[in-house]
Amino acid sequence: MPPKYIPHTSANPLVDRLKSADRWWLLVIIVVALIVILIVFKPDPYLRILLFARDGVWVTFYTTIISFSMVLVIGLIGGLGRISHNKLINGIASIYVEIVRGVPLLVQLIFWYFAFPSLIQDLGDAWNIPALSTYKANPLLMAILGLTFCYSAYMSEVYRAGIESIPKGQMEAARSLGMNYVQAMRYIILPQAVRMILPPVGNEFITLLKDSSLVSVVAVADLTRRGREFMAANFIPVQTWFMVALLYLILTLVAARVVSWLEKHSRYER
Amino acid sequence: MSAQPIIHIENVHKHFVGVHALRGVNLDVQLGEVVVILGPSGSGKSTLLRCINRLEEFDQGQIIVDGIPLDTTENINAVRAEVGIVFQQFNLFPHLTAMENITLAQKVVRKRDIKDARGVALDLLEKVGIPEKADNYPLQLSGGQQQRVAIARALAMNPRIMLFDEPTSALDPEMIQEVLDVMLDLAQEGMTMVVVSHEMGFAKAAADRAILMDEGQIIEEAPPEILFTNPKHERTKTFLSKVL
Repeated sequence: MPPKYIPHTSANPLVDRLKSADRWWLLVIIVVALIVILIVFKPDPYLRILLFARDGVWVTFYTTIISFSMVLVIGLIGGLGRISHNKLINGIASIYVEIVRGVPLLVQLIFWYFAFPSLIQDLGDAWNIPALSTYKANPLLMAILGLTFCYSAYMSEVYRAGIESIPKGQMEAARSLGMNYVQAMRYIILPQAVRMILPPVGNEFITLLKDSSLVSVVAVADLTRRGREFMAANFIPVQTWFMVALLYLILTLVAARVVSWLEKHSRYER
Repeated sequence: MSAQPIIHIENVHKHFVGVHALRGVNLDVQLGEVVVILGPSGSGKSTLLRCINRLEEFDQGQIIVDGIPLDTTENINAVRAEVGIVFQQFNLFPHLTAMENITLAQKVVRKRDIKDARGVALDLLEKVGIPEKADNYPLQLSGGQQQRVAIARALAMNPRIMLFDEPTSALDPEMIQEVLDVMLDLAQEGMTMVVVSHEMGFAKAAADRAILMDEGQIIEEAPPEILFTNPKHERTKTFLSKVL
């Protein structure tokens, strides 16, 4: 007798749903539980650290969200520039990408915060425009600008790769139906390319979230900077940085889950 | 022959890097004519077909489609609106349903409202025999069904000319006939068709003229029954002996 085929379903649909649920959420729950346990059983210092650093979590969160929203738009423009047959547009986009990729993000952030305002002031002095001479940089604004400028270059390459991965026949079919280039991009190429690049885009988002810790160097009170301030005042590095690390971990784990959910729900039906 | 050919190809040359793909091709196609182009791979038959709606640029010569010369961007778009093309690899849009594949260009190019576009699409799906697949995505369809949706998509633009670039070459054998049947119907309705294909059965049943190309040139042209049974040119004989 051949073994009987046993389907992988049980009598209880709830059990099936739990089994098929995304198991990585478990990791998120564990990290949250760990933080709750620490806060409840060792409020000193963990609750103190959390209360001290919570506005830093918020700053890290919205700095990342705002920067990344702009990165999605500017990266698309850069990516379209990189595939353009127009030599000037292509040249500008390529130079931008090559320069930004070749300079460390930390150096770029320092440039935007310290050198860029000074440059503006010098220009104001040279052209005798008082409004520019007295220009003062807003740290948060410069940090968001710096992150956006840098990550948009990476994102251009992601978009370019995504667009180039769509078979040539798609553009040909669209054009031979009478669509112009913009219509073909808008309705045919980009909707497919965006699905294609979701994993690397999610990756960029998580990397940006972590790299946003660098803005602590240019006077933005993000999670990392709040951690440093707390440590300087209390001299308990182990607990402080353990807590800071856990808080970053929650943010990145949740972001990874959201990305994986998006991937799952954007697959083509077959 | 009637007055003005709907497709006029005159001394067209085309170079790819290192390859002289078309070497002075002359061809006139009359309104309502069905022309089948045969030839060994690399003979330039697909390239010639793709020149007719300017998916390929050519270096020399001229092509006039329905009185419109293929030179300015404006003219190229005007010609593309009148010429439908069906590809070997179907090239359906995988992120859209069969229905959406057929309605999209109607909406954004022809500016039809959604109701009209859907009506046209349903009629065409009926015509190609798969009205029940309207809401399926391309990957849910068989190759033959996908190609039939692709034909419907091209027809939805009300083309005056249909080009077929090896429409059955990527299909499993049992699916070839369902696509050829749709093409036969079209030919009988009087559609002007240029077909690159080695389907002799289709050529005999539907074509007014069969053309043999080799090395970027038209070697011989004749009604299919004459070309297949009594070819004049040595290269035609060699080719047919390999295919038949």
